[in-house]
Amino acid sequence: MLAHAHEKPVIPKRAVVIGAGGFVGGAILKEIQKANIPALGITRKDADLLSAGSGEALAALLKPDDAVVFVSAIAPAKNAAQVMTNLRMGEAAIAAFAAVPPAHLIYISSDAVYADDATPVTERSPVAPSTTHGLMHVARELMFRSEYKGPFAILRPTLIYGAGDPHSGYGPNRFRKLAAKGEPIGLFGEGEEKRDHVAVEDVARLVVRILLHGSSGVLNAVTGVATSFHDIARIVAGEFGPPARIELVPRPGPRPHLLHRFFDITDAYKSFPDFKYEALATGLKRVHREVQAGLLTPRGNSRIPAPD
Amino acid sequence: MSSKPKIAYAGMTHLGLCSSVGGSSKGFPMLGFDTDPALVARLEQGKLPVVEPDLDDMLAANRDHMAFTSDPARLRDCDVVYIAPDVPTDDMGGSDLSGLDSLLELVLANTRPDAVVVVLSQVPPGYTRARQRQGRQLYYQVETLVFGRAVERATQPERFIVGAPDGVTLPPALRAYLEAFGCPLLPMRFESAELTKISINCCLVASVTVANTLAELCERIGADWSEIAPALKLDKRIGAYSYLSPGLGLAGGNLERDLATVIRFSEEYGTDAGLIKAFVASSKHRKDWALRTLHELVLARKPDARLAVLGLAYKENTHSVKNSPSLALIRHLAPWPLTVFDPVVPASAAPHPNVTGAPSALDAVKGADALAIMTPWPEFKKLDPAAIAGAMAGKTVLDPYRVLDPAKAKAAGLDHRLLGVA
Repeated sequence: MLAHAHEKPVIPKRAVVIGAGGFVGGAILKEIQKANIPALGITRKDADLLSAGSGEALAALLKPDDAVVFVSAIAPAKNAAQVMTNLRMGEAAIAAFAAVPPAHLIYISSDAVYADDATPVTERSPVAPSTTHGLMHVARELMFRSEYKGPFAILRPTLIYGAGDPHSGYGPNRFRKLAAKGEPIGLFGEGEEKRDHVAVEDVARLVVRILLHGSSGVLNAVTGVATSFHDIARIVAGEFGPPARIELVPRPGPRPHLLHRFFDITDAYKSFPDFKYEALATGLKRVHREVQAGLLTPRGNSRIPAPD
Repeated sequence: MSSKPKIAYAGMTHLGLCSSVGGSSKGFPMLGFDTDPALVARLEQGKLPVVEPDLDDMLAANRDHMAFTSDPARLRDCDVVYIAPDVPTDDMGGSDLSGLDSLLELVLANTRPDAVVVVLSQVPPGYTRARQRQGRQLYYQVETLVFGRAVERATQPERFIVGAPDGVTLPPALRAYLEAFGCPLLPMRFESAELTKISINCCLVASVTVANTLAELCERIGADWSEIAPALKLDKRIGAYSYLSPGLGLAGGNLERDLATVIRFSEEYGTDAGLIKAFVASSKHRKDWALRTLHELVLARKPDARLAVLGLAYKENTHSVKNSPSLALIRHLAPWPLTVFDPVVPASAAPHPNVTGAPSALDAVKGADALAIMTPWPEFKKLDPAAIAGAMAGKTVLDPYRVLDPAKAKAAGLDHRLLGVA
């Protein structure tokens, strides 16, 4: 659960988003700007965290009273090399924070840090990742936690969807792309696995709240509603006319160990009592409309101006 | 020693006061001692600081052989002196034993060497043996106080569990007092007695945790725990008096303290406490049932909802709000205007920036979009669901303790939400 430094919102001097060129980082920066918080978006062009001396380059962009949101990642980290790449990015950031300690640090992590059998998942569930992606986030959480001594918040989003999602992993974005091409939406097995999905805009709105309240601690960015991939496919298919075809295909391997994942979002009720997540069906329909209209978030041929 | 030993209880908080009044009802000359003269003055006037059924009447009926004092010298006349202050606990369930230790020293300094001194307060294993001293008779007795049933428990105990230096022998004065209650006496070694108290509470918690875990499943799959629990109670291996009523997690502090003690000892001695930790986690989860249900049913759909809460005390027939599920809920309802009513606890106890105290239960629910009945006070059971439905703006009533009759609530058109029912 989060602890708030400010019971009532206080606008930080400046919010800096490291990784503002990405799908999630771009959405966060946009929401910060919408909240009239002075903002700086840092992309790879501004400071490539994998290049030599990147810590100094990043430090040169920071001010001591900045609230920093660290989003940069090569995600998902599918193998050891990608894990190490992400850790080097974290290392560079830590070097920068040692030189110019931020007033507040928010790390965008992932629900992949939790053990597969933790259900319903809460912020106190055991951190025991079963994937290299989860391992990477756990390691970076620990790196930041041990090296940065200021107020530190970790936001752990579940599966994120949005109009500018560049990924094509199994889920709503891939389903929509397949349907748009006139191809059937392929579901493994019966598509019975239930997962929570959160809109990227909701993740961004949570970040803004954390910034305004100077919060520290851990919060999951999850809606508390788990929906089967079959139901998600039906929602997405229904947005097309005629509705896209759904095709059940044999699983490439055994049924996944993590069949369903449910979250208990009581901590969200306590941290931000009046925060409301967008329902998945509503969000998917909105995303469809935005994609049709070409209103993508900064990543991916956006009509919305990219941050500086 | 006269025909009946003279008994004293030191520490006139909930445990000591109820135990001494209960003991006086057996005809023993009784002295209630406390270091606070103001408290003693109020007790002398019959003004009791705790609310328990029958306590005031029982005290009045036994005043001819029951006295109160703040003068420790008067303990010198007593044959058996119980040390019985409530031991405070912190948020993590840890005990603060400093007050108990101070009182023990005071009593030992002001009693005769042949007096029996009995620690009645709840202590961790090892406490009594560590405080044994040459030439004194120090014993430990398990207390089984239940808030709201303290007098009944003090006058009709199921058994007495007493820790003795040799694990067997009880001094005549103590034995005479305890035998007057007509229940089995179980002398045992100190550590066993101290752990018996914790073991009792762990068994109670286990039953409650089973009920809560399966009640939540009932809520999702269309079952009704109130139909299941009676069937379980007819099973002799489970028992007619087993704690199978679902609730809002553990409250009051004593059960949590015992779980914390087991976890602390397991860490110190390397034993497995995974089950106990699961009890704690389950309790935390269940405590938020009302908050989750309110969000799902009302707050997610009506951002400007008006809320009402009946009951602030942690359970009926007590003024205590420590670990109260009601206050735990109210703490997280800050964005919504709230009206509360409790027969004993004032609205000022509610941790809420926009709370209004109502003069009655029905006044509290007027205009509310949702109502949560968070303490099962007897007077709430007399409320007419139709009157509630007529007064409320909305229909949602969270009733975790089944205060309202479900059939009448349904007939009144209320969306009556209970623990363990789909």
